[in-house]
Amino acid sequence: MPDALLTPELLRKLEQLQLLASRRARSSLRGERRSRARGQSVEFADYRDYTPGDDFRYLDWNLYGRLERLFLKLYEEERELPVRIFLDASESMNFGEPRKFDFARRVAAAMGYVALCSFDRVSVLPFPATRSGNGALTAEESAARGALRSVRGRKSALQFLKSLEALTAGGSVEFDATLRRGALEARHSGLAVVLSDFLDPAGYENGLNALLGRGFQVDIVQILSPEELNPAVFGDLRLVDAETGVIQEVTFGRYRLKHYQQTVQNYIQRLREFCQRRGIRFFVAPSNTPLEDLLLRQLRKAEVWA
Amino acid sequence: MNFLAPAAFAFAAAIPVVILFYLLKRKRVVRLVSSTVLWQRFLAETQASAPFQKLRKNWLLLLQILLVALAVLALTRPYFSAQVKPAHLRVVVLDASASMQSTDEAPSRFEKARAEALKWVNALAGSDQMVILQAGATTEVKQSATSEKAALRRALEACAPSHGPTRLVPALRMAESLVRDQRGAEIHLFSDGAVPELREFENKALPLIFHRVGVRGNNAGIIALDARANPENPRQRAVYVSTANFATNAVEGELELRLDGRLLETRAVKVPAGETTPQVFIAEQTTDGVFTARLKATDDLAADNEASLVSLLPKPVKALLVTSGNRFLERALRSVPNAEVSLAGGLAETANGYDFTVLDGVTPAVWPTGNVLAFQVAQSNWFTSVERLEGPAIVDWRYTHPLLRYVGFENVQIAESLAAKTPGWAVSLLDSPQAPLILAGELNRQRIVWVGFDPLNSNWPLRVSFPIFVANAMEWLNPANAAGGQLLVKSGEALRLPLAKPETTARVTFPDGEIKTYQIDPGASEFVFGQTQSQGVYRLQLGDTSMTFCVNLLDAAESDTRPQDSLQLGQFEQVEATTLRRTNMEVWRSIAGIGLAILLLEWWYYHRRTV
Repeated sequence: MPDALLTPELLRKLEQLQLLASRRARSSLRGERRSRARGQSVEFADYRDYTPGDDFRYLDWNLYGRLERLFLKLYEEERELPVRIFLDASESMNFGEPRKFDFARRVAAAMGYVALCSFDRVSVLPFPATRSGNGALTAEESAARGALRSVRGRKSALQFLKSLEALTAGGSVEFDATLRRGALEARHSGLAVVLSDFLDPAGYENGLNALLGRGFQVDIVQILSPEELNPAVFGDLRLVDAETGVIQEVTFGRYRLKHYQQTVQNYIQRLREFCQRRGIRFFVAPSNTPLEDLLLRQLRKAEVWA
Repeated sequence: MNFLAPAAFAFAAAIPVVILFYLLKRKRVVRLVSSTVLWQRFLAETQASAPFQKLRKNWLLLLQILLVALAVLALTRPYFSAQVKPAHLRVVVLDASASMQSTDEAPSRFEKARAEALKWVNALAGSDQMVILQAGATTEVKQSATSEKAALRRALEACAPSHGPTRLVPALRMAESLVRDQRGAEIHLFSDGAVPELREFENKALPLIFHRVGVRGNNAGIIALDARANPENPRQRAVYVSTANFATNAVEGELELRLDGRLLETRAVKVPAGETTPQVFIAEQTTDGVFTARLKATDDLAADNEASLVSLLPKPVKALLVTSGNRFLERALRSVPNAEVSLAGGLAETANGYDFTVLDGVTPAVWPTGNVLAFQVAQSNWFTSVERLEGPAIVDWRYTHPLLRYVGFENVQIAESLAAKTPGWAVSLLDSPQAPLILAGELNRQRIVWVGFDPLNSNWPLRVSFPIFVANAMEWLNPANAAGGQLLVKSGEALRLPLAKPETTARVTFPDGEIKTYQIDPGASEFVFGQTQSQGVYRLQLGDTSMTFCVNLLDAAESDTRPQDSLQLGQFEQVEATTLRRTNMEVWRSIAGIGLAILLLEWWYYHRRTV
């Protein structure tokens, strides 16, 4: 049900928002976004000389009356803005209270809903794309994933939210490879939203660079669980990485908590600086952040939407 | 290593607790986490900031710093200069008597005692001092007070057991003088307790700690050996051997008698437990020789299983009677077998050709240099003053003296006597209330028997005791007997030999064949030989005369090797053998050092493991 991800009040508030794209839409499909392309809309763009074969309906007869020359009125073509939401659905997202994956899905739902309301094309790309072993994708989830590959129009919003709900997290992920592939697969660049914890040992830089190189406007939300920010377990620990199975032994005491927190902040800061240098809008959100605070205050303030 | 407080081993129960803690520590809590990336970075960052990091408040750190501080403090050996605490003195008395050679402790009691004493040396605390005395027949200071362990060890290694008897009194007396007025001083006696009377130390509060060595008293030995003329056949010798058994079981063995190494007789003997068995051997002897008695039996102490005796053939006793006529005396002298009596009315020479001289009321012109039996005459240097005494009453006589053996004065009356105060060189044998009547002693190596009265002025010659006294006197005054006695020396005692003429060197052949040459001071009038620690037959070459003497243990107290649980000091005081007060094994310094090293190691390991 939609209210499981987003409350009706929140949906209503979201309906009034519109994604702000800093770039002109480059999609070939018509939408509600201004683009460099000339076409049919109400926004006048320019004139050009008439050449035989042009549609008479766009001739400026008033101008012909004064100058006796045929000019054709050009309008800005309104195109759609492809919004690609990269949703981290790896095992690590299953952690946290509330779960990071749940939070990520709600953010994805909110962004997707805003985009759909603006008649933009929304693609949700949960990664990893495939899973093997015990956590292999069910038929239902595969169908949901398929449905999420391309959604357009406000009427699809309900189905969109349902499909999002059917998603589960599991398996391990290669962040960079996934993003690179996502960038290559996209026919048109647009807005890329990456929802992840960015805790891939191999790093995230190459994947984000690939998105930027393809011309995407990239927004990222780093979702961390409260436990990751502020661990509550102390003592002699054998930590097992849920994704990779890597074992890390650590003796952790309260006196080292600050140090750990500093490490986490350093990690976040590195990502933030990376994003700032490349014009990526960056948000960090613990999974227990009130959703409205993130959506209606932080994203709005950062002019992701208005 | 021994332990002062073995009960403290109960604290070892803490070890499993420690191990348990380590088990708990090692058992890490397994946690499934979303990702270890952050943790890896965290560890990498803390490692990257190594070797130094900001000091954090950490109880473990504080505790360990405290531990290190304490250990270091202990290692610096702190002290308070305000309290002057004198170093403790320990006097180690090591019994080196013959009984310590018993082999009931492996390898011997003496070695056991020495090993024990060495442990005490090793345990000597920093400023404490130790003295090492070796108590055998004589007491030797092997090491004066020192805290230098090497010197003490050397001194103990230099100690050697002897065949002598235990003379603890001088050793304890010396030890007592050392520990007197010293607080905390102790005397450690390492002995088997086979020691004679220590009455002298009763009520002295002697800080004596008796370390007993020895586990059993399985010993039989020869405790007496003597050779005399056979009363039934003067040409034969009767050798008397007394064997005592101090074990708890009867001892069966063979007793053999040798003369100059030649086996004369072997006799099977059985000595019941705790008893003494005398044996008399009759042997023909044609020349002077050495009788050796040997007990062949299995026991712990070998030293007392053999004894030797120099037996000189009896020679006729040549006596010179200087008298104005005394038939009683003359007959009494002549009745002694083997006596040659010459008569003289006066004496103008030193009577060199005679074994002894009898002066019967005649003051000689020249006093004899040999032994003298003097009746009612007195040389001026014998006494300070001589008075006359009328009708002295006889009140007491010394019947234990060899001269008065079988002699009684029950109904002897004396009309008149000379009276002199008992001089230092003599003992009184017969006493009247006023003055001694008979004196005997040795003055300038001249044996003198002085009878203050003329027998003819008494009814003594009519009593049977008179000829017996004369016979006793002849035996006592016979220089051959005295010399024969000199040739039997108890081990540890000195051989004293008068020199007839000045000698410069003496060559002594020891029982083990070793030969030593001694220089004699030209003015010396006697040769004193004190190295009689081992028993056996010694040969002495003195100028051109050679002689043989024997050193024997022959000490029943020493043969009784039963270890004593306590030392009796007089009637009421006794010192129990200690087993608990072994030693203050102060190994805490090493332990503290090891502990410190372990602590550092633990610190390093802990650090390496966590970061």
